[in-house]
Amino acid sequence: MPQVEYRGMLLVVPDNDSEFGGYFEAAREHRLVVKRCANCGLLRFPPGSGCPWCTSLDWIWQDVSGKGTIYSYEIIAHAIQPGFRDFTPYPVVIVELDEQRGVPTPQDGLRLIANLVDVDFQPEAEANVAIGERVDVVFQDLSPELSLPQFRLTGELPAGPVWQFPG
Amino acid sequence: MGRLTDKYCIVGVGETSYSKNSGKTTRAMGAEAIRNAMRDAGLGADQVNGVLSYHGGDSTAGPEIAADLGIRPDFYMDCSGGGSSTEALVGLAIGAIEVGMCETVAIFRSMNGYSEVRIGGTGRRAAAPVAGSQLLSRPYGMVSAGQNFAPVFMRHMMEYGTTSAQVAAVKVAHSKHASNNPKAFYRKRYTVEDVLNSRWICKPLHLLDCCVETDNATALIVTSAERAADLRRRSIYVMGVVGRVTKKRGDTFYNDAPITDVAGKYAAERVFGMAGIGPEDVHVTGSYDAFTFTTMLQLEDYGFCRKGEGGEYVSSGIIELGGKRPNNTSGGHLCEGYTHGMSMVIENVRQLRGQADDSCPAWEDGVHTHDYAEGGCRQVREAEISMNLGWANPVTGSALILRR
Repeated sequence: MPQVEYRGMLLVVPDNDSEFGGYFEAAREHRLVVKRCANCGLLRFPPGSGCPWCTSLDWIWQDVSGKGTIYSYEIIAHAIQPGFRDFTPYPVVIVELDEQRGVPTPQDGLRLIANLVDVDFQPEAEANVAIGERVDVVFQDLSPELSLPQFRLTGELPAGPVWQFPG
Repeated sequence: MGRLTDKYCIVGVGETSYSKNSGKTTRAMGAEAIRNAMRDAGLGADQVNGVLSYHGGDSTAGPEIAADLGIRPDFYMDCSGGGSSTEALVGLAIGAIEVGMCETVAIFRSMNGYSEVRIGGTGRRAAAPVAGSQLLSRPYGMVSAGQNFAPVFMRHMMEYGTTSAQVAAVKVAHSKHASNNPKAFYRKRYTVEDVLNSRWICKPLHLLDCCVETDNATALIVTSAERAADLRRRSIYVMGVVGRVTKKRGDTFYNDAPITDVAGKYAAERVFGMAGIGPEDVHVTGSYDAFTFTTMLQLEDYGFCRKGEGGEYVSSGIIELGGKRPNNTSGGHLCEGYTHGMSMVIENVRQLRGQADDSCPAWEDGVHTHDYAEGGCRQVREAEISMNLGWANPVTGSALILRR
């Protein structure tokens, strides 16, 4: 059972975790995976137990590119967990992956939460964080058995409008 | 069950004081709040036979508190849940009475929300291992309600041009109301500049965009209109209720876009349809203010203004005492104290009775000056219909329409 102490929290992936076990196994190999429905073929994230579109309970893990766009974000100035105090101010981003955007309905997309980090896994500077910016997954090894997917700016030209909080 | 109007009433309301250190157990506070609600209604222990509560693993079970008051429940449930539970439990109480499980239900919420178990996930809540769905957010330092909800507001600012100053007006309005509420934890009036100059918690949220965690217990009592007729106070009737309506992909706050649509989008038609009224018929609202922007988002999706115009609506003066449709006239969670929503239903009941417990000497007799200057009156003129918009999170909410 992979577990690691990270910033004062005990992160645990129990052996029977059919939602996140395979996700973190892949992360350890620095691969980002989502679930693919074995019946209708649609991808889904978070890796829930059934398909939200056809209710099938059969699925396989599928690799995705890890490339995406910032859908929304926040800059956390006041850490709630004491272990994050030396990390402030830090961005939390919602990333929309390139795969399956707007499918099966315009409302859908594969969206993940992560920190936007620099090359040293330190918080990306606030001035560089904006909705619409392009990002790519990177893996932060917390221990030999547990790695955390994080995101980093790619520097690619954004495909759509970019918006940054003016305050 | 058909139209609820004229069939069920809220007949008693009560609470403890709001503090940061109650020095009491949730059992003692829960008993005090229910007792206050029973005295308000004029009910004895043998006239209450249902008990409902909600909690987040931070309270005392109904039978213990019932025992302290000599209540013998024919029905009780302690439900897991925070914000938006009050309205949902009013609906469940009506259901329990309608099928004959009991006749009169006390609903309570009791929590040492500051001194014992804070909402934000510190203390006891932080000690538990992080597993399952929590691995999607907690390892990224996304824990508290503010941290979880802020990206929704950020996206609203992008999509609609909503500003920090606009939602700061919610704090301004609620602090004005709280200044006329002797029970409120914070009675100071704030300006838009005060909010914008307060320190950052999680951008785009300032400190004063966030509500005030407190220790308290709150209670209300639901019974049939028939029984209500003999009781002490004016009957306040339930016109419509919806409970914990949830968006698709409700396992996260960000998988059913646009994330700026909240549960009210789905709840509005059902609750207004049940009541047979529209937003324009409501005189006073209680839109849950865990944060300034949660008030705004819900007023929008329940149709009090057009989608995207919530910022304009809450900063127009409409939601202030003296405005067309005041919101959270007690000061709400931002100023009176955080209760997970019950206090806002209590306040609307008092408003509809014409008995807002302000600084008017004869408020209990319904005599009010309607002078809303600091330290004065907070009774809305001719308030006949109220609406509570309960918020659990961006994807789940409840609503309750009451009339006098």
